[in-house]
Amino acid sequence: MEIPLLVQPLVILLSTAVLTPLIDIVGKQAKAEKIRDIFAIAGFLAAFYSLINLQSAISSSGRQTYILGTFGVPAGGVQLTADLLSVYMALIFCGIGLLVAIYSVRYMEVDSGLDKYYALLLTLVAGMIGVAFSGDFFNLYVFWEIMCISSYTLVSFRKYRWEPVEAGFKYLVMSTVGSLLALYAISLLYGYTGTVNLKALSTMISSGQISASPLSLYFAIGMIITGFGVTASMVPLHTWLPDAHPAAPSSISAMLSGVVIKTGVYAMCRSLFTIFSPASFDYGTVLMIFGILTMTVANLMALMQRDIKRLLAYSSIVNIGYILTGVGFGAYALTHYSSSPGLATPVAVFALMGAMFHILNHAVGKGLLFLCSGCFVHEAKTRDIPELEGIGRRMTWTGTSFSIGLLALAGVPPLSGFWSKLFIILAGFSLPEDSFMKFISILVVLNSVFAASYYLWLVQRIMLKEPKPKIAGAVEAPASMLLPIVILAAVTVVIGIWPGAIISLAESAGRVLLGG
Amino acid sequence: MVEPWQLYAAAASAAVIIGMYGVASKRNMLKTIIGIEIITSSVGLNFLALGSRGGTVDPLAQSIVVVSIAIGACVAAVALSIMINVFRHYGSLDLRKLRRLRW
Repeated sequence: MEIPLLVQPLVILLSTAVLTPLIDIVGKQAKAEKIRDIFAIAGFLAAFYSLINLQSAISSSGRQTYILGTFGVPAGGVQLTADLLSVYMALIFCGIGLLVAIYSVRYMEVDSGLDKYYALLLTLVAGMIGVAFSGDFFNLYVFWEIMCISSYTLVSFRKYRWEPVEAGFKYLVMSTVGSLLALYAISLLYGYTGTVNLKALSTMISSGQISASPLSLYFAIGMIITGFGVTASMVPLHTWLPDAHPAAPSSISAMLSGVVIKTGVYAMCRSLFTIFSPASFDYGTVLMIFGILTMTVANLMALMQRDIKRLLAYSSIVNIGYILTGVGFGAYALTHYSSSPGLATPVAVFALMGAMFHILNHAVGKGLLFLCSGCFVHEAKTRDIPELEGIGRRMTWTGTSFSIGLLALAGVPPLSGFWSKLFIILAGFSLPEDSFMKFISILVVLNSVFAASYYLWLVQRIMLKEPKPKIAGAVEAPASMLLPIVILAAVTVVIGIWPGAIISLAESAGRVLLGG
Repeated sequence: MVEPWQLYAAAASAAVIIGMYGVASKRNMLKTIIGIEIITSSVGLNFLALGSRGGTVDPLAQSIVVVSIAIGACVAAVALSIMINVFRHYGSLDLRKLRRLRW
């Protein structure tokens, strides 16, 4: 029996996850423990390859759908569906997962229980890809929880230290309550319509077949934004992130900051834009305001940190703010200029393209930064920035890549972060008669300048200062840890210099949200 | 005339609020986990209440609730194992004792 192309990545990742502990037992008996790492990396490679096949199949013949079982009224069933947006996100998730798995071979070798580590890493990525491929809320919730449970366990992986255990508990409580709020919103939507299928929900709500008042639909929208916003770490709900990301092993921090929080943004955008047409529901304003709040608060907090991983964690929250603001610009333009779609649609496409492009840039950039900081912490045995000063001069490759990552996120022109920030800001200015959007974009510009200041300050401290005697003996990381770092740094530079291909991918992903 | 499903839905939303109160205010980790379990169950009850308006319960709602119970059990297992590790570190389940994380 041939497995459909759409299900292949999930089947590969989940079966690799199940087999990894068994391979580990065999490997221990054969005195070849690394075989389990190689097996997990092979799983990621195979999944990545099948995703590339899926991408080319979708771009040539359109959306793919696979129904696992049919039941329920109308068009129910467990439906997997992939369009250009899903596969765009899935490629980012799987790519970062692959590089993190390569990095973990040497980085995690001092830890025990690595069979579970790789199995959880595989289920984490499988969960995220499943969220991206879900065509109904039931499916989305199940994959969402697969992802969440794997990440709680990975955050508290080093359970012999107090910090991961505490941070893991805080993360678990906040994130579980958030997902349950989202599930409550799903149950309300199910109550109004009798279905959990995204497409069916969208048709029923836009055609007005249901008896629910707009107020109760706005209640569901609020619950969805709050529920998924916890994982996306929107500002009033972000407090778990600066604890959980530094406490996790650096490879997992790269995963969490790079892609897991993006899954929150993806789930929020997908459910809002698909079900509630932005022309008739005004959630763009809320997203814009929360985006601005998120980046401003996190910028101020980031400046006060001494811990390098904590600073990077706050900077992840800042970047979620940019993405939310970009998505908010798109929805706002469609809501407030719905009478003139010729004016609003190009702005919305542009804003969503910027947001999707920034998702990729931040995933690559923040993955790079956390992997580099993992190398620094591995060598210097400290996360304190004053003690790490000058370590980049001892570890040239890591230090240079770290600086490239920081400059990219600061938005220095030839690097990738510049383009996506530019697009989001330009989208805000492209309706010059709208003073609210202009005001928000001015705040975005101010925030990026502010953020650039501490990125550059960090470059100066890590790369330019004289190393202290305590870290004078630091040596370069082993080659298998450098490989993912150098790949990510190269991707940042290449996207920055030739952004054309990625822009067209991000644009087609953004158009999917608008129903195109 | 209040129909039975409306009473169930009202009870479910009340139980969500009770669970949130438990998570937010209790100082004992075990009680926090119980709060999470209350929210899980009440969301399931809400699904069943809204799915039973036609007199019979919709199989879609039932299958969602069965799966969400299974997921709730997994979350509880992870939460309890973290709780055991906290107890090993501190000898206490008091959340105030483990606020060593900075803001």
